[in-house]
Amino acid sequence: MDERLERYAELVVRVGANVQPGQEVFLLADVEHHELARALARQAYRAGASYVHVRYTDGHVRRAMIELGPDEALTYAPEWLKTFTAAMSGNAMIATTGDPEPELLADLDGERVGRAVAQEIVQIRVQQLSENSVNWCGVGAPNEGWATQVFGEPDVERLWEKVAFCMRLDEPDPVEAWREHLTRLAERATELNELHPDALRYRGPGTDLTVGLLPAARWMAGAGDTSTGIYYVANMPTEEVFTSPDARRTEGTVRSSLPLVLLGQVVRGLELTFEQGRAVRVEAETGADLVRSHFATIENADRLGEVALVTKESRVGQSGTLFHDTLFDENATCHIAYGAGLPFLFDGDPGEGLNVANMHVDFMVGGPELEVDAVLADGTEVPLIRGEEWQLA
Amino acid sequence: VSHNGDRLERYAELAVRVGANVQQGQEVFVHGLVEHVDLIRALTRQSYRAGAAFVNVRYEDQHMRRATIELGPDEALTYSPEWLNTWEQSLAGNAQLGTSGNPEPELLSDLDGERVGRAMPLEAAEIARRVHGEHSVNWCGVGAPTEGWAREVLGEPDVERLWELVAFCFRLDEPDPGSAWREHLDRLDARAAALTELRPDALRYRGPGTDFTVGLLPSAHWGSARFRTAGGIDYVANMPTEEIFITPDSRRAEGTLRSSLPLSLSGQVIRDLRLTFEDGRIVQVDAESGAELVRSHLATIENADRLGELALVTKESRVGQTGKLFYNTLFDENATCHIAYGFGLPYSFDGEPDEGMNVSNIHVDFMVGGPELAVDALLPDGTEVPLIRSEEWQLAA
Repeated sequence: MDERLERYAELVVRVGANVQPGQEVFLLADVEHHELARALARQAYRAGASYVHVRYTDGHVRRAMIELGPDEALTYAPEWLKTFTAAMSGNAMIATTGDPEPELLADLDGERVGRAVAQEIVQIRVQQLSENSVNWCGVGAPNEGWATQVFGEPDVERLWEKVAFCMRLDEPDPVEAWREHLTRLAERATELNELHPDALRYRGPGTDLTVGLLPAARWMAGAGDTSTGIYYVANMPTEEVFTSPDARRTEGTVRSSLPLVLLGQVVRGLELTFEQGRAVRVEAETGADLVRSHFATIENADRLGEVALVTKESRVGQSGTLFHDTLFDENATCHIAYGAGLPFLFDGDPGEGLNVANMHVDFMVGGPELEVDAVLADGTEVPLIRGEEWQLA
Repeated sequence: VSHNGDRLERYAELAVRVGANVQQGQEVFVHGLVEHVDLIRALTRQSYRAGAAFVNVRYEDQHMRRATIELGPDEALTYSPEWLNTWEQSLAGNAQLGTSGNPEPELLSDLDGERVGRAMPLEAAEIARRVHGEHSVNWCGVGAPTEGWAREVLGEPDVERLWELVAFCFRLDEPDPGSAWREHLDRLDARAAALTELRPDALRYRGPGTDFTVGLLPSAHWGSARFRTAGGIDYVANMPTEEIFITPDSRRAEGTLRSSLPLSLSGQVIRDLRLTFEDGRIVQVDAESGAELVRSHLATIENADRLGELALVTKESRVGQTGKLFYNTLFDENATCHIAYGFGLPYSFDGEPDEGMNVSNIHVDFMVGGPELAVDALLPDGTEVPLIRSEEWQLAA
């Protein structure tokens, strides 16, 4: 048995999802991720899981649906899959990422690719996120295709080393290292919550953007409690502090700084222009149609749901690797998401400023030249990030 | 498209069009092991090409099963997740495709056979059996060659050679495989009709380690695996299929049966299985390996200790002609005569099944045929009519 694989899976089960004795565990993995999924199942049972469910997804099955299936198939949510998804409430979930064929859908009609979302399934997940009823964790599953995308060759071992570094698996006591790391991020979130910015201002190459914030929305690091008090880390790695912005108050232009692998296509050089909260213009070197399809077919996909700040201490950033995977790349640098906001950041009713949509897509905007300022209610500007370094306290 | 890619698509197309006979607008439910990924993708493509409204795919993983049996609590063994029950319920009115060919046939061989035997989602199995009993699913099971399976069959991971054998059993070498299948099934159906007309009251098996009599039901008929759903869709439930079969009277089985081929079952291999019957029930189980697994079935699953199927296969079988042991029931049961313990098959009855049909949540086929097996029909007047000698068919049709 691969010892690193088992230690990795154990960290995910115990620190990430923090599986509790007697909980059911739901694994969502690409069929190519089966080695990790198997290790996660073993570790979940060792942690006391009452049952481990697995649902293997397959990009080629999805491709066949988009290429050969009828129109209605694109958005169809089978009853069994609704049952599966709904059953996650009160239980633990672990999802793996690391696309084995990131451009599998690149030659398909971007409009159909964008439309192919089982919205009823997403709605269940959005509901669970807002109830905070699932202790879950997303993690990377190195595989040949992903390694090829990252290094130009199928060097899975090298990708494993990078991923293990981002996961702090090289530390003598990874569990303790994660505890310290999460405490540092939580302090940063506290600083921002005490500062009470009214807006963020982003300036950099191709970017001049102001995003309004909501007084009721907290800043948070990537760890917290479920509604029943289970502490979990939703992403591993995580290096961000984030909040949900006021979806009605976004103005200006933002340009992505890293390519984004999305639904089997790669979106490069994305440039979005916002007026009164909504994206009114979408440009990109590649993948623009896919993003436009989201905005055209999914309600409120054209408003923002998340702003997140990441600095150069990030292990993902330090790895110097473009992972072509959102879980990793969004933790290398500052990012923003269009689509659904995050209701668990609010105590009580989030109000109308929180965006509600059946989609959430993160894209990276950070880099050495990006400046981020907090704009306070009295108009004062407080530098938050310069040269990828944290400027507060 | 490479030559091999073309074979895979032609194979999948035959399974979809002749096997399950997927209809325009039907949903298709595909399930198979993660290692069968290439074939499952091809089945998905061909199902959409045949007009499927949506293709549901459920990948199974033996290592998950192993983890559950080895590390999970007792309750996990028989737990039926609600979503799996829903999946089985959704089969009604739709098409189903299953792939087999175990890449690691002995993955569970070091585990407690009693737990392995008990590990089955009982409620889901019962729903599946009920839905199939209503003749509302057009389905087909096919083989999916993998390295592990090839190693088991050929002693080396020669997947290409295994593919050739599987394609031969599948009649993919014929100029027009679709009409070759029609002719083949017509021959089997003629054999079944002749035997049904003979109206035997029982079958008698004699061979090495076997001396066995099993009663038949007057309302049951012999048939091939070419079935028709209640809605009138013709389909072939197994590809390959070389058998004619019937559901016996589960109350009338006496004597001893000895398996003639190893049986790959739930990650263990059962070798030289010997069963003794009294008054229809199995009263003794012996085996060179895997006896615990079978005993666990009989002890924990109601009526697993009664018979559900008798099937006759002769030497014309393409599977038998390969001379290979496939360690896969779909293939090996079509190489030679076999018998199943567990549930009877509603396909043997035109209307309501006879109360003699066994009802259980499991169905396990094992092979009893071979050159020395003699099978006779016993008529109500006591006459014995030879059916099989030296693996050759003895009746007129």
